[in-house]
Amino acid sequence: MLTILQLALNGLALGAAYALVALGFVLVLNATGAVNFAQGDLVMAGGYAAAALATALPVPGLALLPIVMGAMALLGIAVSALAYFPLMRRPATAVFVSTIAIGLVLQNAALSLFGPEPRTAPPIWDSEPIRWGGLTLSHQALAVIAVAALLVCGQGWLLARTRLGRSLRATAQDREMAAALGIPIHAMVALSFALAAALAGAAGALLANQFFVTPTAGGALILKAYIAVVIGGWGSLAGAVMGALLVGLFETVVAAEVSYTAASALLYAALLLILLVRPQGLFGEAAGRRA
Amino acid sequence: MIARIACLCLAVAIADPAQAQEIRIPVLVPLTGILALEGTSQRNGALLAISHPPEGVRAHAEVADTGAAPELAVTALEKALDPGTPVAVVASMFGPQILAMLPIGAERKVPLITISGSVAVTEQNNPYVFRFFPSDRVVKLAQARYVVETLKKTRPAIVYQTTSYGQGGMKVLEAEFTRLGAKPVFSEGVDVSVKDLLPVLTRARQAGPDVLVLQLHAPATALIIRQAAGMGLGLPIVSGSAIGQPATAALLEPKELAGVCAESASSPISGGSPALETFVGDYRQTFHAEPDAYALAQYDGTEMMLAAVKSGAATPEAMRQALASMSYDGLAMTYKSDGHGNMAHSAVILCYDGASRVPRIIQRYDNLDASM
Repeated sequence: MLTILQLALNGLALGAAYALVALGFVLVLNATGAVNFAQGDLVMAGGYAAAALATALPVPGLALLPIVMGAMALLGIAVSALAYFPLMRRPATAVFVSTIAIGLVLQNAALSLFGPEPRTAPPIWDSEPIRWGGLTLSHQALAVIAVAALLVCGQGWLLARTRLGRSLRATAQDREMAAALGIPIHAMVALSFALAAALAGAAGALLANQFFVTPTAGGALILKAYIAVVIGGWGSLAGAVMGALLVGLFETVVAAEVSYTAASALLYAALLLILLVRPQGLFGEAAGRRA
Repeated sequence: MIARIACLCLAVAIADPAQAQEIRIPVLVPLTGILALEGTSQRNGALLAISHPPEGVRAHAEVADTGAAPELAVTALEKALDPGTPVAVVASMFGPQILAMLPIGAERKVPLITISGSVAVTEQNNPYVFRFFPSDRVVKLAQARYVVETLKKTRPAIVYQTTSYGQGGMKVLEAEFTRLGAKPVFSEGVDVSVKDLLPVLTRARQAGPDVLVLQLHAPATALIIRQAAGMGLGLPIVSGSAIGQPATAALLEPKELAGVCAESASSPISGGSPALETFVGDYRQTFHAEPDAYALAQYDGTEMMLAAVKSGAATPEAMRQALASMSYDGLAMTYKSDGHGNMAHSAVILCYDGASRVPRIIQRYDNLDASM
């Protein structure tokens, strides 16, 4: 029982970090109608940013997190300027290719700047794990869950309760109508990239402490974000979060019961079943179109 | 760093114009992709050797990144062989890449010098391949024998990566453990994309092992050792060579490494001789990094090739004959072909004491492949 609780905690922490990746993925998807394949590499960049900042600023990871997110937001705007705006009137496939190219550039930039060695980011706060009975409660795992929950709620509040959020949603739902209403749609798209990159940066900083970061670490994350988004519902923010948590739990709780290979097979089987029974995903299709 | 390496290549090229012999050495190694860490060590080892050629030999390196795909390695090799065949090529340590390069080496009759551990590399009846790192058959034998004969453990649990490296080593480990009467009680493959390794540790513990044996790449090795320490697994860990790499050990606190051992070809940072310490000093000064066993193996292999040039091997065929027949006392071990291109026949077991990240060599196995 304690083992299952331990695994569930790890799974929730992992899923919470994946949720930040998936949320960013959906934000760009909704704003542009195209998949940002550089999202995983942005997570990697966030991990390296946290690792590099930690050597210059010996403060807890929690203090570094806003700096990482700010820097990553600027990188997100740069990604939109390079990979999206020049191709915005082209078919969506052009943006797929350009974001893949940006991802490769980020990988090679990380390799040139930091070398091929795995790096680790500082913990959110540094302390011994809490031992309770046979259960080991890692502060980092708890912090990842707390920080991710805060960011997800913040994201939800921004989109639902603020004028800026309403402009973002209007841009995502109908760009022409939003433009007719005077919403600066280009600024909203750039902001979506910035928010997505900031969330990716937070995920990178959180994951890089426990699981290290290497230049090629982003590839697997984009696949997991994609699965989470398909499970949750293409374009649904809540669905992306739930899908990501499910992926995290499959990777821990289910994998501990069967094996990694069987857990992966079961996850893909669940994905196929959802696509068969409920093609719009668990939380329906909020906006955007399948690209 | 890039500028420094470029300067090193140039400096090697213009070392002494008065010297008679000049050779071109293509260095075709994975500098990006899954083996970037090990490939960078391979490149650095080759470059350091080429920057210190024997007297009377002038050499320059031409470095190309082979990435992670076999076709990139093949393209790099074909490009390196045109125009003019070099006396030898430093070829990728990545198993699928060197296997794809072998037919071209045989067709163009150019020796390929590699440090790949994949057993299959020297089982292709190809007289043009020379491997300066002990094959998996050597190091995995050392790993299994250390577990059974020295630690007296008979119930190993094996966790391996589902890559060619992981599965190749796993096959040798499983066979040797069974031969030694210590059939593994648990084994599971882990994809490189898996983040949390607590599930496999949980399942392994349920099988009741008395030792945890690892055949994982660097990040997964560091992660599983950290998670094993965190969950209080309480089993000795005998890892593949990854944790012997200083860059991997640097990810963990010394106390997390306490009691962890690993097989390897060597451990340069552990010292052992003045010549080895000179190598470590030169390496640190040139590359601002700690050398690992791969760097030392490629350094030794390239030094042996340069020694062959000095002794008159001026053509690819003469080089092949020299490498096939010479014996060479390198910094890590003595190298001599077994007739199939396997030059390295020794392995070491190194262990961490929990107080530092510099391991101590505690056991050495020589001529293990001769005993098979």
